[in-house]
Amino acid sequence: MAGSPLAQARVLAQMALRSLASHKVKSLIVGSIMVFGTALVVVGTSLLDSVEAGMERSIVKSLSGHLQLYDAEAKDDLALFGGATMGGDDYGEVPDFGEVQRVVQAQDGVEAVVPMGLGIANMSRGSELDRALDALRRAVEAGDAATREAMIHRVQRLLELTRADLTNSRAITADTTDLDANLAHVERAQQAAFWAPFRGDDLDAKRAALDFLDTQVAPAGGDGVQYYLRYLGTDLPLFARVFDRFRIVEGEPVPEGRRGLLINKRFADSQLKLKVARLLDDLHDAVTLNDARIADDAALTAKARQARSLYGSLTLMLAPEDAAALEAALRAEFPDVAPTDGQSPLDALVQAALTVDDDTLKARYAFFYAQIAPRVALYPFRVGDVLTLRAFTKRGYMKSVNVKVYGTFEFAGLERSELSGAANLVDLMTFRDLYGQMTEAQQAELKAIQAEVGLERVDRADAEDAFFGGDGDSVEKTADGSVFGDFDVARIEREAGTRVADDRPFTREQMVDGVVLNAAVVLKDGVDLDDAQARIQAAVDAAGLRLKVVDWRAASGVIGQFVMVIRGVLLLAIGIIFIVALVIINNSMLMATLERVREIGTLRAIGAQRRFVMAMVMLETLVLGLLSGTVGAGLGAALVSWMGSVGIPAKNDILVFLFSGPRLHPAVGASNLLVALVVILVVSLISTWYPARIATRVQPVEAMREA
Amino acid sequence: MSAPIAADPIVELVGVSKDYPLGKLTVQALRGVDLRIERGAFIAIAGPSGSGKTTLLNLVGCVDVPTAGAVRIEGQSTSELSEKQLTTLRLHKLGFIFQSFNLVGVLDVFQNVELPLLLQGGLTGAERKRRVAEMVDKVGLTPQTRQRPNELSGGQRQRVAIARALVTRPAIVMADEPTANLDSTTGGAIIELMKDINREDHTTFIFSTHDANVMSHARRLVELVDGRIAADHPVAEAD
Repeated sequence: MAGSPLAQARVLAQMALRSLASHKVKSLIVGSIMVFGTALVVVGTSLLDSVEAGMERSIVKSLSGHLQLYDAEAKDDLALFGGATMGGDDYGEVPDFGEVQRVVQAQDGVEAVVPMGLGIANMSRGSELDRALDALRRAVEAGDAATREAMIHRVQRLLELTRADLTNSRAITADTTDLDANLAHVERAQQAAFWAPFRGDDLDAKRAALDFLDTQVAPAGGDGVQYYLRYLGTDLPLFARVFDRFRIVEGEPVPEGRRGLLINKRFADSQLKLKVARLLDDLHDAVTLNDARIADDAALTAKARQARSLYGSLTLMLAPEDAAALEAALRAEFPDVAPTDGQSPLDALVQAALTVDDDTLKARYAFFYAQIAPRVALYPFRVGDVLTLRAFTKRGYMKSVNVKVYGTFEFAGLERSELSGAANLVDLMTFRDLYGQMTEAQQAELKAIQAEVGLERVDRADAEDAFFGGDGDSVEKTADGSVFGDFDVARIEREAGTRVADDRPFTREQMVDGVVLNAAVVLKDGVDLDDAQARIQAAVDAAGLRLKVVDWRAASGVIGQFVMVIRGVLLLAIGIIFIVALVIINNSMLMATLERVREIGTLRAIGAQRRFVMAMVMLETLVLGLLSGTVGAGLGAALVSWMGSVGIPAKNDILVFLFSGPRLHPAVGASNLLVALVVILVVSLISTWYPARIATRVQPVEAMREA
Repeated sequence: MSAPIAADPIVELVGVSKDYPLGKLTVQALRGVDLRIERGAFIAIAGPSGSGKTTLLNLVGCVDVPTAGAVRIEGQSTSELSEKQLTTLRLHKLGFIFQSFNLVGVLDVFQNVELPLLLQGGLTGAERKRRVAEMVDKVGLTPQTRQRPNELSGGQRQRVAIARALVTRPAIVMADEPTANLDSTTGGAIIELMKDINREDHTTFIFSTHDANVMSHARRLVELVDGRIAADHPVAEAD
């Protein structure tokens, strides 16, 4: 009864193959679906694996490391690339990074443990008038007549604009008291007599005029611009060493033991850069990288229109000699441009240079960067500047820190990715200052100051005596009888304006032994992530550190789950295709079975058991599945290797991040092929199960029916 | 030369009835048939269409079981067997020859003949091949061994079917109108072939026919009318 299994299998396989060959159309249709499905699985899973690997590289090698450690009792999940709230996330804190580093570094396979702390600071740039006045004051103090005249000219132009602004505001304001006062100050400053002292020798008269401008006129000129800066405080030299995507673009790395800020190039380009330059960059990227057309895209058209309207912001920034040179260059380029009402010839020319459409964009973009950009400040900072960062500390008060910009950086391969612009880098000491944590040195310094000023603990009962003395008039009066002398407000503001960086050096111990918010663990090559995560978690638990260890996926926030979402979508698509395939295969096999009722009946009559019939029908689809699967997997693999050699261009910023570079070079793995084959075979079996069941129910009597 | 008469019948039908539902009606295809067939018989079942020839063959061929009465093959009542056991019985004791040949189109002559042996199992590959080759030779198709059914004539196809039916050396061969789709010359040759095998191997042949020429080759003729045996008599050998 057992039959000859091997010989039976052989004849069944032969029957299956020949049956497929004799039903060419059916086999071709079902086979094509299977080929397509298998190829899709191979291509889809290969792409996803490559994207996941790319994203892992992007995230691991730029910010997160393989693992992240942070406070086990943190209220929010760590989100290095930005969480749900704008910087309001509470990640708890790691009070002593040194201890963490010692414990974790001792584990096998750990390359480095990098301290980190995320925060958001605000940074402001004064108004154009503020900066022109600042430059004028420096020129006056330095006795630089040429710059002085240029700046006087500039200030006068800005005053004209300020006056126009105020006049316009006045027309739409009910209570014009303040505006009238401002307007009076501006108008006074516009009189020729006001500027006479600048050409004289009386330095005090010049200073008095400058003080008037600073205190009375400048406030009418607007508040300037505020920027928000997401920063990551870290051990900068270590960060640069272990995150191999990190690369200095301009300037230099912050030296060991020094405070400093490195500005993210991507952040600078997308957030800080002069608006008109950003608009042109966007247009240029859209046209050159994405083959978009300005005329066909409402958003691009609007950007082009906006760029054209911003000529005034450029001409205002120009120094007189630059203005003259630029005007000459522009006149050569646009000989026929004439100014409209209220425009200077330069305004009209710059406007012409900023007027772009699909035909002129490339040339005008190049012209902008060749002629205009070098003459204006594209960014609100220059390498070497000292910036004031303000942030709310942990304890809720505002803290300002002056920090020097050493340079700009980018993450190699991710230059165009918005997400790689997620954070700027500062040294850990600056981070702690902004965070509100005093170092031991600062605490010592504070104590020293307290000692120096003779601060002592005073009981409440004795407080009055201690503060005001036992008797007598302890309040000094100034000569004119007022309690406080006239503060030289202008001078104080001026001094605040000339920022001095906090440049106290620090030792490695000072940096390491202190608070951080989180720490990145970079593993050596080939170390198993899950295993390392478990070991490190066990080690920190054993050391009594209340920390949780998460992998890069979890640490990167929403973006880390991105691949899982895409995988879900792909699985759904594959699922739908296979359900369709299932229905079609099922149908066509059912038809085939019904056509073969007499043959099946005959087999049953001459002694074939039901399972033989079952095997016969199933094997047919299985053989088709195996053949189509092999062809499909081969096609898929060929397609993936072709994509791998050509590369898939990352058309937008998110793709650049996901691809970990401007192009994705996917590779097919054995697992992709195996999964595809298994899937297609399973689908074959499931789809044929019902037709096969029907086949087994064919009665042997069917053999006797007339053909 | 006449076949030896065995004491026990190889096939025995006792009071066999077979009803088929046909919509709301019931068709009584057989109505109380009693029949004994001895080992080595060469028997024709004749009768007009709808007389119950095929039903009788189906019951004896164990592809169907009676509604009432008993069909015994070598003493074993088919009603008492499971479907699986009936299949095994067919595989080992019965051979089938069909009116429309019913060969497996995708298999060649050799493979069609080999199929029942593969289902049976138990033979070595070499032995199986020898048996198949011998059988193909016996039906005179050795030159066509590797051809597929659609490359053969009707007579050749029926020879393949005969070889397939006989390769397992069954006790009984059932043939349902084996010559109905053949011209009279070819049909005659097929009957001669069956007759030769019957003489040599004493295989029992039971075939249905309404062809008088074919009937004349049988040694015994059972005539059915309306599901009942109308006549049952020996036939003089037509030599």
